[in-house]
Amino acid sequence: MTFWAACIGMLAVTFGSRFAGLTLQMRLPPFWLRFLHFVPIAVFAALVTPSLEGSRGEGGIRVAAAALGALVAWRTRQLALAIAAGLAAFWLLRLLPG
Amino acid sequence: MTPLWLGVVPFGLAYAVIARDTGLSLVETQALSILVFAGSAQVSAVGLFGRGAGALEIVLTTFLLNVRHVLYGMSLGREVPMTRTQRFVGAYFLTDEAYGVSVARRARTFRYVLGAELSLFLTWNLATLAGALLGGIIPNPERIGVDFVFPLAFLALLVPLLGDRVDVLVAVVAGAVAWGLSRAVPGGLPVLGAGVLGALLGAAATGGDAE
Repeated sequence: MTFWAACIGMLAVTFGSRFAGLTLQMRLPPFWLRFLHFVPIAVFAALVTPSLEGSRGEGGIRVAAAALGALVAWRTRQLALAIAAGLAAFWLLRLLPG
Repeated sequence: MTPLWLGVVPFGLAYAVIARDTGLSLVETQALSILVFAGSAQVSAVGLFGRGAGALEIVLTTFLLNVRHVLYGMSLGREVPMTRTQRFVGAYFLTDEAYGVSVARRARTFRYVLGAELSLFLTWNLATLAGALLGGIIPNPERIGVDFVFPLAFLALLVPLLGDRVDVLVAVVAGAVAWGLSRAVPGGLPVLGAGVLGALLGAAATGGDAE
């Protein structure tokens, strides 16, 4: 019971948010057009930092590996390559003693 | 789209393994992926189920996590011309990743957006099914760093968007604010707050330019 009530509620608020954004189409003043340009930049950055450190005390390793991933993303603009490089660096750094 | 599957598959596997471990049935685990289709909200909901949270708590947390989609939708709806039916369908399958790819590649057609969305939906649900079936066999996914794929993927989406100094400033400020807020506030509010604040800062900082 609780599960399906939660599931339907989750569907409603999630689809509601997605649909509201796509249908709220008004002519926006220049300030809000510039605002929208910066939305993905700000939101993606905000999605990265809280989960970067992790909960297993591997913050240093993860930040270093993410820095390498960012460098690869900057040089190649290839998502897969950047993710693969970051993950590989993460696994390698974990093998180091200490 | 191949690159994002790399992030979606382990994330979907991890979600399903955690869900089964929490006591959700195969059908319930899959139902969330089909009906809600929002990875981070699904993972947080499963965590709340495990702690015996009520439906209202879970729905409110989901709303906090997913209200950022209003911003995605407004941005995407401005970039891509869509009919009313297309908006309805496009909204159902809209995710961070589909939005990120569409904006990063400056896609201007509904077909591209829907293709990105559906390929992610299919991958997410297949990964969910695989994870739900194999739930007992997969070891703790965090041990192999599956949760690290999430920030890594968004970092890789973010970097190509950084065109000038204001872009970098906005990213640094939003990232720092979100990190600080996430220590004090649960759920998706830090992301929404930092996203709005960062975008406001960027819009204000570029106001003097004649462009």
